[in-house]
This record gives sequence, C-alpha cells and structure tokens, in this order.
Amino acid sequence: MIKYWKYILIAIILLLGVLFPFYAGAYQQSIARTVLIYLVLAISWDMLLRSGQLSFGMAGLFGIGSYASVLLLLRLGASPMLSILGAGLVAFVVAALLGILVLRLRAMYFAITTLAIGEIFRIIIRNWSSFTGGPEGAILPNIIFDGDPVLSYWLVLGLALLAIVLSVIFQKTRIYFALTAIRNNEVVAKSSGINIFKYLVIVFAITSALQGMAGGVFAQTYGFVTPESSFSADYILLPIAMALLGGIYGTLGPIIGTVLLGVLAEYLKLYIPYGHLIVYGIIIICIIMFMPQGIVGVVRSKIIRREVG
Amino acid sequence: MLEINGIDCYYGKLHVLRNLSFKIGDEAVGLFGPNGAGKTTLINAIISLIKPAAGDIIFDGENITTSETHTIAKKGIALVPQERELFPEMTVYENLELGAAFIPHVKNRTAERLEFVYNFFPVLKEREKQHAGTMSGGQQRMLAIGRALMADPKLLILDEPSLGLQPSIVSELFEKLAEMKKHISVLVTEQNVRESLKSVDRGYVLENGEIALEDTAENLKSNPHVIKAYLGI
Repeated sequence: MIKYWKYILIAIILLLGVLFPFYAGAYQQSIARTVLIYLVLAISWDMLLRSGQLSFGMAGLFGIGSYASVLLLLRLGASPMLSILGAGLVAFVVAALLGILVLRLRAMYFAITTLAIGEIFRIIIRNWSSFTGGPEGAILPNIIFDGDPVLSYWLVLGLALLAIVLSVIFQKTRIYFALTAIRNNEVVAKSSGINIFKYLVIVFAITSALQGMAGGVFAQTYGFVTPESSFSADYILLPIAMALLGGIYGTLGPIIGTVLLGVLAEYLKLYIPYGHLIVYGIIIICIIMFMPQGIVGVVRSKIIRREVG
Repeated sequence: MLEINGIDCYYGKLHVLRNLSFKIGDEAVGLFGPNGAGKTTLINAIISLIKPAAGDIIFDGENITTSETHTIAKKGIALVPQERELFPEMTVYENLELGAAFIPHVKNRTAERLEFVYNFFPVLKEREKQHAGTMSGGQQRMLAIGRALMADPKLLILDEPSLGLQPSIVSELFEKLAEMKKHISVLVTEQNVRESLKSVDRGYVLENGEIALEDTAENLKSNPHVIKAYLGI
C-alpha cells in the first residue's frame, strides 16, 4: 500500500515539474532552471561519494562542459543539442583519462587532483585567446531554442531527470553493492570479486559526463561562457552543501537539499545580497555538527524508531 | 587444489615469509602459530593483497601469483578476513546477496546459495533485514562466513575466526567448520589450537615465517612441542 502511494506521489511531483512553466512566472522559471542545474551537480557528486571518493571536480567538469559545448558550436558548427551531448562526451573522456591515472591512489590524492582539473583547464582557456576567447570568454550568436523559456526549462528538467534515473539505477542494481562495498571495506570488496578500479573509473566518468552536460546546458541557455563564471567555485561548494543538507548516499537527499537551499538562496539574495553565502556556511557547519545524516537520514531514523518502539 | 611453492614475502626490508611451501587438497587445513609468525601475511599473499618476492602460488593448476585479488575471488577462493569483515551499512540479506553478485558462476544462483547458507546458519534468516553492524560479534562472524559461502568457493580461507568470540560460540563455529569441509576445502588460521584441531584434518605450525611442523591433526594433538607451546598443558 505504501509503495502504491509512493508511485502516485512521484507521478504528481513529476507532473507538477513538467507543467511548471504554465503556472509559474518567468522569474520562478529562471530560479527553477538554476536549481535543476545544481540538482544535477549535487546528485552526480553524491553518486561518486557512495564509493567513498570525494570529488571537488564539479566546477572543473562543469566549465569543461560549458566551453566544449560553446566551442563545438562556434568552431565546428555543431547544433546546440549535439554540442550538449558533445560536452558530456568531452567531460567523460577527460574524467576517464584522469581516473585511470589517479584512481589507483584514491581518497585524499583523488580529491586534490579533481580540484586541479578545473584550474588547469581554466588557465589554458584564459590564455588560449585565439581559440577560446581568452579572459573575456565567448558569446553564442543565438540562445538555444531561440530563447524559448519553456523549451529551455524542459531541457534542463530532462537533464535533471536523467541524473535522477541514473542515480536510482546506481541504487537498484549491483553497482550499489560495488559502491557501498568499496566505501565500507576495500579488502572485503576485492575478495568478493569486485574490480574496484574498474568501477571507480566508470562511475567517475559517468558522473563527470553529467556535470559536463550540465555545463553544456547552462552555456546554451545563457548564451555565453567566461573562465571565471564557468569554473566558479560555487559549482563545488553549493552542490556539496545541498547534498549534505538533504542527506548523502541516496537519490532523495540531494533532491530535497537542492530544492530547499536553492530556493532559500534566491529568497535571501533579495534581502541580503551575497549574504546567502554566509547562510550556506552556517548551514554546512550546523549539519556537520548536529545532523550529519542530513534531512533524509533524520526522518528515516525517526520512522524506524516509531516502527520499533 | 592450492599449492604454494617456496614463496618469500617482505614488508619493506622485513623478511616475513621465508621460502615457504605448503599444499591443500580436498580437506581442512589448520595454520597455527604465535602472533607475528606470518599467518595473515601468507593469506594476503594467496589472495594477492601483497605480492611475494619469489615463489609461485598455484590454484587448480593455474598460476595465480600475479593475478589481481578480484579475479582470484572469481576463480573460487573466498576469504573471511580477521576483522571488519562485513559491510555494516548493508542489511544481512544485502551482505549475502553481495557475496554472490560478482562471482560469475553463482550470479544467477543466488536463491540456491541463500538456502545453503541459511541452512548452515539459521540465525541469519531470522535477521535478514537487520543492519549487519547492529548484530553481535558471533552473528557478524557467521554472516561473514555466510557471505564467503555465497560465492560457492572451492577454497574457503578463514583468518582467526575465533578472535574476540566467547568460548561457547567458538566451539559452535568449529562444529560448523567440520561440517563445511565435507563440501569445500578449508584453510583456517588460529591461535585457539585446541578447538581448531577438532575440526581440521591436517595442520601446519608456522614460526618466524617458516613451517616448523607439519602433521595430521591427531598427531599434532600429541606432539610435545604443540602441547607445550600451544595447548598449554
């Protein structure tokens, strides 16, 4: 019975999400697009975290995707949609190569290396003016779908749904076993026949492709890229804060965290410009101190306690 | 089944295993010795967690000395390590399912393997939905063994299964082991020599990285050195 209601609830939320442009104004739609982009980053970050690997590469891969998509369109004449897929592919290849090089080390070494990807590409892009547009960035001649807000919204929503579906697949198939086993105990994971290296490289590449596509979608809907805005540290810090707030190691946590924090941030921006960053900081500190399980974890343990007691 | 020919293992400059050879057939073999003798190192060498500097490890006629751990697991060697042997955040059922999920020849026989394991350890069926980390030490050890058995291994390696368990559970565990060896080969390292000699067929005594003694379980029980050093009579 509970399962039955769960599916009805999912269907209602999905319907509300798809029909959003028809009952919400332009401002709300633009917030929704930003929130959905962050949703992709937060979920994909969490998907890799489930294997115990902490990545700071979101900004780098987002920026690589943004530039890949814009340059594919400007220099090779690819269509906007094709350039977004291309952005995912470029991020996938970059992450796979990097993963093959550093994922044998894992943990801290991996985290630090991912932080470097963004910096390396940002510096190359800044200085290779003839190809990338240099520090000023590059502007697209036209925005995707000629700027149609409804279609743009659906494009972002589609990418977010893709991330959610992939995340659910990661939880329901034996990838879940592989990732949790690697996080819990690598020796037992190996001696249970899990090829740790292979799984980590594949998962890192897939989540990076999502982040690259998020960058591509962002660039195509806003029509420009610059080294500073496309590789902004916001794309590292905010998704982490969002996933932590909602609860890590699952699909629902990052979704709840992103929606709450994303909407809250927009609201705060109106009243205390830039103050939302302070609020983020306070939220991260409070979560780590008082509810490291996040919202989903707290609710779940309440439910379990009620069932037991 | 498993044949180890003259392996040498080092941790840095420390020579831990010295030209060590032994064999396991269709039987249960005990590996005894004090702390630091090299028992766990030998196990780690078998499943390739450390690479021996010299010598060969042959499993079922195949040289696995340089194979990777996960491929060795797929070939039929299952390990129950000394501690932290479970996935505490998963349920009992998930832990067991995982044991078979990545082993090609049992991937599609999960139900059949589950029945086998539940037969062996009925308590695991009762606690199917419980998180592994919330069970008692003895139950966790049984779950770890159950998870290893899910892979339907040819050789089961247990590293000090009695560690940290109360005596009544230890004897229960070794009774199960005696039953298990009818199905598969077993290699068990132990400091609790008295209990484990009841369930193994043969034993090796490992001291300072070398085999000091090798005999049947019956003979080891009456060997003066074993009595003096390990049985404490």
